[in-house]
Amino acid sequence: MFQGLANGFGIAFSLTNLTFALIGVLLGTIVGILPGLGPAATISLLLPLSFKIGSPVTSIIMMAGIFYGAMYGGSTTSILVNIPGEAASVVTCIDGYQMALKGRAGPALGIAAIGSFIAGTIGVIGLTFVAPPLAEFALKFGPPEYFALTLLGLLMATLLGGSSVVKGLIMVVLGLLLGSVGLDPISGAIRFTWGFFMLQEGVDFVTLAMGMFGIGEILINLEKELTTELVTRKITHLWPTLKDWAESKWAILRGSFIGFFVGILPGGGAVISSLVSYAVEKKVSKHPEEFGKGAIQGVAGPESANNAAASASFIPLLTLGIPGNAAIAMIFAALLIQGVQPGPFLITEHPDVFWGVVASMYIGNVMLLILNLPMVGVWVQLLRVPYAILAPIIVLFCCIGVYSIRNTVFDIWVMGIFGVIGYFFRKVDMEPGPLILAFVLGPILERSLRQALLISAGSPFIFFSRPISGAMMGFLILFIFIQIVRTVRGKRIRD
Amino acid sequence: MGRLKHPGPGFLPFGLAIVLIILSLFLIFSKWKKGIASTPFWPHRTWLRPLLGVAILIFFALVVEWVGFLITTFIFLMIWMGVIERVRWRTIMSISIGTTAALYLIFVLLLDVPLPLGFLKW
Repeated sequence: MFQGLANGFGIAFSLTNLTFALIGVLLGTIVGILPGLGPAATISLLLPLSFKIGSPVTSIIMMAGIFYGAMYGGSTTSILVNIPGEAASVVTCIDGYQMALKGRAGPALGIAAIGSFIAGTIGVIGLTFVAPPLAEFALKFGPPEYFALTLLGLLMATLLGGSSVVKGLIMVVLGLLLGSVGLDPISGAIRFTWGFFMLQEGVDFVTLAMGMFGIGEILINLEKELTTELVTRKITHLWPTLKDWAESKWAILRGSFIGFFVGILPGGGAVISSLVSYAVEKKVSKHPEEFGKGAIQGVAGPESANNAAASASFIPLLTLGIPGNAAIAMIFAALLIQGVQPGPFLITEHPDVFWGVVASMYIGNVMLLILNLPMVGVWVQLLRVPYAILAPIIVLFCCIGVYSIRNTVFDIWVMGIFGVIGYFFRKVDMEPGPLILAFVLGPILERSLRQALLISAGSPFIFFSRPISGAMMGFLILFIFIQIVRTVRGKRIRD
Repeated sequence: MGRLKHPGPGFLPFGLAIVLIILSLFLIFSKWKKGIASTPFWPHRTWLRPLLGVAILIFFALVVEWVGFLITTFIFLMIWMGVIERVRWRTIMSISIGTTAALYLIFVLLLDVPLPLGFLKW
């Protein structure tokens, strides 16, 4: 393990990889700060480029940097503008902005950056130690286990993620259906291509992701005039005082562990972990009445949690090949584009990719601390770039990017159609995250389901009789049961 | 479609379609039961700007192959910032030229992507 990590540092410290790690965390910070453009959308914009960037390690190092870098940047906008720069920083608005109003923007930004660094590093240490044994364990998984696991991941993602469970589930089903377009992986039959030759290979992930996330997000943002009013006062005292530190050190540690464990869960991720951490901090605090009025723990906890979760969510991706959220699903696609199959064999077959990326995350967190602590004033200026200029450039980038993959205008049309669909989804409060996740997991789900049924000669009991998949299915049923009980109970209270 | 013993290509899609129908009915029924007053889908002409955005996108897809990417990109940026957003004239010009140049640099020179140059082939 230490041998691997040492090799990884050797790879990560090469000039190319350092440069791309820096580009990644820089872009991550920027999109984290800019509201209306999240890490998932940004990674989707860069997917076409990953065809061109030489080695898989380099491109994944960059994309990972964007993902965890955005967790750092998101807090800045939450604290200064009261708009989440990024979804995982929603709760940071509550107490962060109150602190800024009281002239304590500096300590808020400082504790967010330091907490992010500590939690991010704890998350990567966890990734280093948990991933290899987990991958070894996952070697035992057969089709029934994979089916149970993907089903669990999809269900948890919808139950934990969106506001409405039914809408989330509809998105999952639509994503699975979209994923079944093209050649059937087992029999080779052609499905749902409507006579379009270009659809035989299936709907292209990059085109779908850029449409749903890139174009769709821009279109919905066009509806509202995004004007940001900055807290323009000069930011001072970034380094928190001893008192601030004493108040928030346990919040940071608790946040790190909450984030790590929520991040590993299938369907878990940065957004949920920050919400859980805020609730926990409020519960354990001796002065819960201060929450909402500028409690520093309300910034330190969630901001730590989302970073630890961001690192931890690489664990299911790199050991099981099951992405847990939309941004990680994009990195899953990037790995496939580079010809690296994410799964239990990744660490043994591509040790350079695994250890290189892990090592780069240690380095990236240091880079981010420097970028976000002394240099935070520079990035805040970015908030002055109007969306009016940003939006057309992003759309153009999507068009040219998607064109560059297969050199055909057909893909621009498909992306545009998905963009319009994504716009309407957002309009009716249906988050496209579960759809993207289901699209990626669809082929895995279908193949494992059909293989399992072939093995068992049609008996669905195979999912319950094997110990690992049985445990997962049990957990799944328990989860659904709890959800139903909660819904029924909730209704009774409302009536 | 096949059967449980030998699931065919239509097996999963068929199952999914049934789930989708149930979920949709559930959603419709729950909304109908609650009887929430409907709000206008697009209040205050909010449909206009997204529609213009889509129109420009269609324009791009239609002409990019024969006009070429340089000119189309430039016009795209000018229209977007000029019509949808009303940015100041001088800003529009400098951003349009700068972005077109930057995209050319990244995609054509750096990444060697064969973008259509239209009648500007030289």
